[in-house]
Amino acid sequence: MARYIFLLLSFNICFSQQYNLYVASESDDTVSVLKFDGESIVETDRITVGIMPTEIEGPHGITIDPEGEHWYLSLAHGSPNGYLVKYSTDNNEPLSRLELGLFPATMQISPTTGLLYVVNFNLHGLMKTSTVSVVDPLYMVEVTKIKTGIMPHGSRISKDGKYHYSVAMMSGELFEIDAMDLSVNRILSLDNNNNLRNAMHHSKIKPTWVTPGPENDYVYVAGNGSDEILKVDLNKWKITDRIQTGKGPYNLEVSPNGKYLLASIKGEGKTGVWMLDDLSFVKNIDNSGSVSHGIVISPDSKYAFISLEGIGGDPGIVDVISLDRLKVVSSVEVGKQAGGIAFWKMED
Amino acid sequence: MITLITSSVVFSQEMFLKSNLDGLSIDVGEVFEPSTYVESEDGKITTCPNLIYYNKNGALNWDDGISVNRRRGTIRGEKPGKHKVIALCIGLTDSRLSRDFDVTVNYAKAKELSVSLNTEKVYVGSYVPLSYKITDDYGFTRYDANIKIKSDNNLVAIDDLNNVKAINPGKTKLIISLDDVETSISFNIIKNPIEQLSLTSNMSTARTGDVVTFNAKAYDKKNKLISDSPIIYSYSGESFDKSNTASALINENGKFVAETAGKYLITATAGQRSSSTPLIVYDRGIQREIVNVGSGTVEERHTSDFWVFEGVDGGDYAVSGTWGADGTTYFWDVTNPGQLKRIDSIKVDARTVNDVKVSADGKISVISREGASSRKNGILILDVTNPSEVNILSEYTKNLTGGVHNVFIYENHIYALSAGQRFYVINIDDPKNPYEVGMFEIGEEGQAIHDVWVEDGIAYTSNWKHGVYMVDVGNGIAGGSPSNPMVISNYSYESGAHHATFPFKSKSTGKFYTVLGDEIFPQGIDVYTTNETAGFLHFVDFSDLNNPVEVARYELPGHGSHNYWIEDDVLYVAMYTGGVRIVDISGELMGDLFRQGREIGHINTGNPNGYIPNATMTWGAQLYKGHVFYSDHNGGIGSSKVLPIKPDNSRINEYLTRPRIID
Repeated sequence: MARYIFLLLSFNICFSQQYNLYVASESDDTVSVLKFDGESIVETDRITVGIMPTEIEGPHGITIDPEGEHWYLSLAHGSPNGYLVKYSTDNNEPLSRLELGLFPATMQISPTTGLLYVVNFNLHGLMKTSTVSVVDPLYMVEVTKIKTGIMPHGSRISKDGKYHYSVAMMSGELFEIDAMDLSVNRILSLDNNNNLRNAMHHSKIKPTWVTPGPENDYVYVAGNGSDEILKVDLNKWKITDRIQTGKGPYNLEVSPNGKYLLASIKGEGKTGVWMLDDLSFVKNIDNSGSVSHGIVISPDSKYAFISLEGIGGDPGIVDVISLDRLKVVSSVEVGKQAGGIAFWKMED
Repeated sequence: MITLITSSVVFSQEMFLKSNLDGLSIDVGEVFEPSTYVESEDGKITTCPNLIYYNKNGALNWDDGISVNRRRGTIRGEKPGKHKVIALCIGLTDSRLSRDFDVTVNYAKAKELSVSLNTEKVYVGSYVPLSYKITDDYGFTRYDANIKIKSDNNLVAIDDLNNVKAINPGKTKLIISLDDVETSISFNIIKNPIEQLSLTSNMSTARTGDVVTFNAKAYDKKNKLISDSPIIYSYSGESFDKSNTASALINENGKFVAETAGKYLITATAGQRSSSTPLIVYDRGIQREIVNVGSGTVEERHTSDFWVFEGVDGGDYAVSGTWGADGTTYFWDVTNPGQLKRIDSIKVDARTVNDVKVSADGKISVISREGASSRKNGILILDVTNPSEVNILSEYTKNLTGGVHNVFIYENHIYALSAGQRFYVINIDDPKNPYEVGMFEIGEEGQAIHDVWVEDGIAYTSNWKHGVYMVDVGNGIAGGSPSNPMVISNYSYESGAHHATFPFKSKSTGKFYTVLGDEIFPQGIDVYTTNETAGFLHFVDFSDLNNPVEVARYELPGHGSHNYWIEDDVLYVAMYTGGVRIVDISGELMGDLFRQGREIGHINTGNPNGYIPNATMTWGAQLYKGHVFYSDHNGGIGSSKVLPIKPDNSRINEYLTRPRIID
């Protein structure tokens, strides 16, 4: 028996995975470094970010380069433009800063072009057409700004790295940008409002996120205003399916193995789970706090990490959901209004 | 297997970008089509499937010296200088394939050269004040040009730095040249006609900080006044304090102000004539004893702004916000400044209540909201007629969702900043039903507003790099009203750190200033120690609204400015880590007020029981009914009193004679 227990322990020690990730806390101007060992998630570091100690600059989006050497943070508020800041994952020290547009938010680096694409959300500005900034992250130079829609959000890259997708929250549009030649390829009015392209008409769908599927055939859009998820066929360039969700789906993520589609249900503090192949509903999982925001899934598709904003003085929280057991298995408190979340690496 | 290895060798060869951009030199306006290709180690040339060009000038700067037409694949020289163009090849290799090339955009040749003489008369023995302007073929002003100056005679001496000194009387001509352009200027050098210089002043003795006006008059040998003689003023001096040095400032109009007490000699010079007169400067001697009276500790949160007001019951009250917390606002009874009592609080959906204000009649308070979970921040309008039972009258978020950093109440209107870009004017005749009546923005690219303060129907907005805008919101001077704000005047300065404004009508001189405060954190955020703060107050003489002139500064070494209050020619300024500084700003103002010994005293606002104990970080100050109230980011609120007596330093040594503690 003792030998059996020893063998079990050895197996566990040899094969336990460590999952490392970053999460930004928008109302605390902090970024937390988190480690999950398969059982418990802990905060290993908390980095104060921003320039002005007496102003909340609002770290919103966060992403990590494909090599895992740097993390990039968008600061929503400056004077008045926000910034992109580059940090080293070695020591979490800032390396460089670049001024972008109003309220730069979500972003991702294309593994094919090596360029970073970040939406200038302009959440609180006048209803004007905004842009996607394309940044060379090596030199921290803004290569160009590409005009898209009103309040663009949900900056995501196709699996082949050749296309960038974003949605415009107020003009209700889906944009496909050619990541190679840096121009808008296609626009889809999600409200069927083609006569008023790019016009602010308070989209009923109010899309807040788009994420590509594992093949380059579909993207999925969160309809934050219409409480639904839209499936868009990239070959036909039209909506081919839509499913109802709880109140206010916000971020979406597809598990790398292509099994699940997850949505943060912001208005209910839940995470919704659907089978990706037929979009059949699996479960709504109660989160540990309120205002569910970001989702990232580990590359082995075992765990989803959900950031929760909370309200007022509530701490932010990151929940770990086991995708085998479909339940929250661990949680950790971080800074207030946890939002942007990025997976860094897995370690043995 | 062999095939696989061979294939691996072929594709693991290093590849390089080659381009005719290498060493390129183009003119402004010239369009160039780069030809770039990929070459492997074995010399094999490949075409890159996707090439992107862009320009680079360091990691933090946007270089507009070269523009790229991505559609046509061309670059164009925009501004002279040395630039870097990056060529990035996408889609050929798994790893990054890029290279940066040095590209020179040439200065065009000088097209126009002009020179002007900045004096009416040139006396023998004086340096000739000249200004040059060089414009090139593309209209750019050149600053790098090494002009050549020569004279047609030996009446002037020209040194290696192109300084021209008048040596002998007579008419001389200077020829100035660059490239193929030449210009000239002729002037007369006259023998100095001045036989006598008289120098008088409006004071024979002064205190540090007093502005003394010296007036030089030149007379010829017939004792006739020469009204247009060029006079240069200077000073020398000796400090009374042997450990210090005499320090002062004198300007071209003969205005003198001393920073240290001592004996000074002021000299007026015109060519080879000069005249001097002594001035004794004594220490200003305005320091006063300041005592801490009361403290209202906030130990559970950071504190933000505050406001002290007289309630409708005649009692004295204060409201204070909290920062980076849970949306709590506190209300205080400060009727007894020695006992600041927390009497009520409200909590709203926010993380920061950055600013709080109260109407002049003590009935309505407005608080600003940042970090609301709904992301609809806006403001809350409160009934504070009974500060012990504060009620929310209404919430207002229209156009204010981006977070309201600062607010002001003036004559039944709230002025609220929106997303740091503009302010909205909201009517609160019925505070339960507020409605928007106007909006103001400066209309500049990258406009950013940080604060608004309203007095006498004029809104003073603080706009970082765009400086202060005085906006008529009912004064009438520019025909403005709350629903139709109209710009009166604007002043900005180099650092672009303009954070707050306080209008100041000097009682002692009648002059009108705007006092413009910076906010600077030069090292950003340092979580391991107290944050370094910087910046100062700029005193801008706005007596002529069309020609504002910056005349003085208050800068406390090592500490930066935040919010402040001015009353009866005394400044009460929160200098963040430097506490509240109380400064005499009476009389004419010129130069560096801190170094002139104008400080009356200071208050360290750190609180031993605060959220961060004993860590002074003063947010704001307000003089109210003879007491100096303040808020401290780490401690809460407090009150102090400036006493009429001078500081008694005689007891300083008592600590040396106190019996030692033996353990």
